[in-house]
Amino acid sequence: MKTGVYFCKCGTNISDKIDAEKVRDSLAKKYPGIHFKTVDFICSEEGQGAVEKDLAENNIERVVISACTPREHENTFMRMLSRAGLNPYLMQMVNVREQIAWVTEEKDRATEKAGRSIRSAVNRVQLHEPLQKKEIDICPDALVIGAGPAGLKTALTIAGSGRKVILVEKSPVIGGMPVRYEELFPDMECGPCMLEPLMAEILHGQYAQNIELLTMAEVTEVIGSYGNFVASIKQKPRFADMHTCIGCAECIEPCPVSTKNPFNCNLNERKAISFPFAGALPNAPFIDEKLCVTLQGGQCKKCQEACPVENAIMFDDSEKVYERTIGAIIIAIGSDLYDCRKLPNLGYGKLGNIYTSKEFERFMASNGPTDGQIRTAAGTAPSSIAIVHCVGSLDANHKEYCSGICCQYAFKFNHMIEKEIPGTRVYHFYKELVVPGKDEFSLYHHARSNPNATFIRYADIQDLSVSGEGKSNVIQYKDISGKCGSVNADMLILCPAVIPAEESGKLGKVLETARDQFGFFQELHGRLDSAQSKIKGIYLAGTCQSPMDIQKAMNQGMAAAGYILSGLVVGRKLEIQPVNAVVNSERCSGCRVCIGACPYKAISFDTEKEKAIVNDVLCQGCGTCVAACPSAAIKGNHFTNEEILAEIAEVLR
Amino acid sequence: MTDNNNFEPKIIGFLCNWCSYAGADKAGTAQTPYPPNVNVIRVMCSGRIDPQFVLKSFEQGADGVIILACHPGDCHYKEGNFLAVQRYRLLLRMLEPFGIEKERCRFDFVSAGEGDKFVRLITEMVDTVRALGPMKIPAQFP
Ligand SMILES: Cc1cc2nc3c(=O)[nH]c(=O)nc-3n(C[C@H](O)[C@H](O)[C@H](O)COP(=O)(O)OP(=O)(O)OC[C@H]3O[C@@H](n4cnc5c(N)ncnc54)[C@H](O)[C@@H]3O)c2cc1C
Ligand code: FES
Repeated sequence: MKTGVYFCKCGTNISDKIDAEKVRDSLAKKYPGIHFKTVDFICSEEGQGAVEKDLAENNIERVVISACTPREHENTFMRMLSRAGLNPYLMQMVNVREQIAWVTEEKDRATEKAGRSIRSAVNRVQLHEPLQKKEIDICPDALVIGAGPAGLKTALTIAGSGRKVILVEKSPVIGGMPVRYEELFPDMECGPCMLEPLMAEILHGQYAQNIELLTMAEVTEVIGSYGNFVASIKQKPRFADMHTCIGCAECIEPCPVSTKNPFNCNLNERKAISFPFAGALPNAPFIDEKLCVTLQGGQCKKCQEACPVENAIMFDDSEKVYERTIGAIIIAIGSDLYDCRKLPNLGYGKLGNIYTSKEFERFMASNGPTDGQIRTAAGTAPSSIAIVHCVGSLDANHKEYCSGICCQYAFKFNHMIEKEIPGTRVYHFYKELVVPGKDEFSLYHHARSNPNATFIRYADIQDLSVSGEGKSNVIQYKDISGKCGSVNADMLILCPAVIPAEESGKLGKVLETARDQFGFFQELHGRLDSAQSKIKGIYLAGTCQSPMDIQKAMNQGMAAAGYILSGLVVGRKLEIQPVNAVVNSERCSGCRVCIGACPYKAISFDTEKEKAIVNDVLCQGCGTCVAACPSAAIKGNHFTNEEILAEIAEVLR
Repeated sequence: MTDNNNFEPKIIGFLCNWCSYAGADKAGTAQTPYPPNVNVIRVMCSGRIDPQFVLKSFEQGADGVIILACHPGDCHYKEGNFLAVQRYRLLLRMLEPFGIEKERCRFDFVSAGEGDKFVRLITEMVDTVRALGPMKIPAQFP
């Protein structure tokens, strides 16, 4: 095979240390007639041009480039080969600059090592195979799971590019957690005012026709891989038609059945047919099948009688299963809060007037159970409120991480309490205070300058103990300096750690997507790719990946969309790199060792043929399975056993 | 040991592309000198290193083998280096019955920033193997 060796002098960087003539001689001794050429700078335009010309003129079939690190210019030189009409994989680089010339003191020994390395590359490159990129057709559409801020932003961004988005939301409402908040840190912007335009865009905006919103739905199965997934989605019946319903709420009043309203944290009642809360979007009620008299086989239909629109209430609605093809999936299912009952010293669930932050948000919401008034169970305005920060966060006995948002909403609460019931005493019990960012300080300063606010720092949440006394609770504490004291609080607000959403585990299984030690969906890389999961084509947005505020959730939604817009381009095929693993099914014994070794779940098992199969789209070419296979049935393209052994053999000769 | 002073060991270094190979490049850009006895074989991930590569290296005359990987948790392919560690332990057990000193086969972690560590490891390895003297390959080596 006619092999050309191109020796880059790299100015004097290489040629000062390595004697090209001697290298040529040592090569010629082993490979008589080898084509050897020195070039000043191969990476320069002229250098590349010269090599290209030389390759063609001399009918070179295999190429060795002795130059700098392949980490810098391997791709440049591969493109150069392509331009010269050669398959780009028929080349081997020798890193003479970084790993020999610059680090070897004696010129003789540097020259000797360079010669040895180049000979070994020549030996290896003989075995190189021309590899071809594969191309497959893709579907540019996306499935977004969860319609909170992160999911909404992703859906809108992708839909805006003209693609279809399937937006699956478990609950009957969209908007996620923040539609339940009256005001938002850091600017005290009104929550619904901020989110409603975004939700209106989703429902009726310019690109709404690209978005298929499925509420009360869940993803039950996903097959396929990046570019071509098929998802099964199960949707519960709503019994109200979102499209014909005009949202007048005439149906609610006549309904004879009541129950606690989970959308208001069970702080008030709702009917069997209800809106989660006033202003909830989509603007159509839903019927709780288990409570509805008619659906339970009884005689009622009062809601249908009250409805001014024909066919808006549909008792014959039933569960639907959809199958959708998409190219990418975004997980945006948000998070939950730590169960405060796990800290019994705080009295949650046992004593009255103790609420989680999420419950307290509903007290302050004008569409909440108290119409936005902060009231104790006795119906009076509290004269003192204690806010306990870091409940379960930064605590080795509970959650080791800082949830990052609690201080900020605690200061938001401080602000709102002061406005709503001026003069209320507010106690902040905290372990650490965390208020990063350029806007967040102002609520903090506001709280600090509130003459009625007292800050008490504790070392361990076990140093707080809440007991009930009459209508007020008493908090006994030991602060960080060891000083003990007690305060009365008519109301307690607990700021629990942000934890993974209840359904993370279930969804993680369906999507085969890894979760981290805490149960949050695990990102591909914490700094570089935090919006990408470990499975290609599955992206992460919002608090399903880590606790974060709305700003970050929205940004991550955009980031996830960005990956999809640039990775799955309409009209372009998906390129699959050929440096990956290939199973030789004749040799495969069906032991499945490779399946466990693959970090990308790229290998599956054909149960009929009892052979392993590598999915080209998912394989990243690390070669771990190749080394793991006890039957040597997997070939690592471009890093085959033969190629590597040829390299070793010549180095040691 | 003095008689080994003129002995120049031949050592094969298996480096993964992402961290340890980049660490070696870092030593290069810093132009920190180290002995030229180690010839580097680049693989994409330390998980690709088949124990037979190491055995073959010894069989064909290597006096030592050094395997360098990304630090735990840093593997570009997530967990290839864990498998590499497991295989390395297995390798040591395979070498033992042949009387091959375990110091001739070393495993370590080098990050893309650790040019200095790379230089230190290579220098140590060369010194160690030089002190051990040339490898005497047993007759019935696999
Ligand atoms: C008490 C409190 C106050 C806060 N105040 C502020 C504030 O003032 N300002 C601020 O910036 N941030 C605030 N935050 C943080 C804010 O709530 C989050 O940043 C935000 O909700 C994250 O959005 P998300 O889309 O990731 O998740 P979420 O808002 O939680 O939305 C997730 C959505 O996914 C749905 N879902 C869940 N499971 C599934 C499933 N299996 N299938 C389909 N859908 C599913 C949920 O029903 C929900 O609609 C506060 C948080 C708390 C706890
Ligand atoms: S890429 Fe370095 S060990 Fe896997």
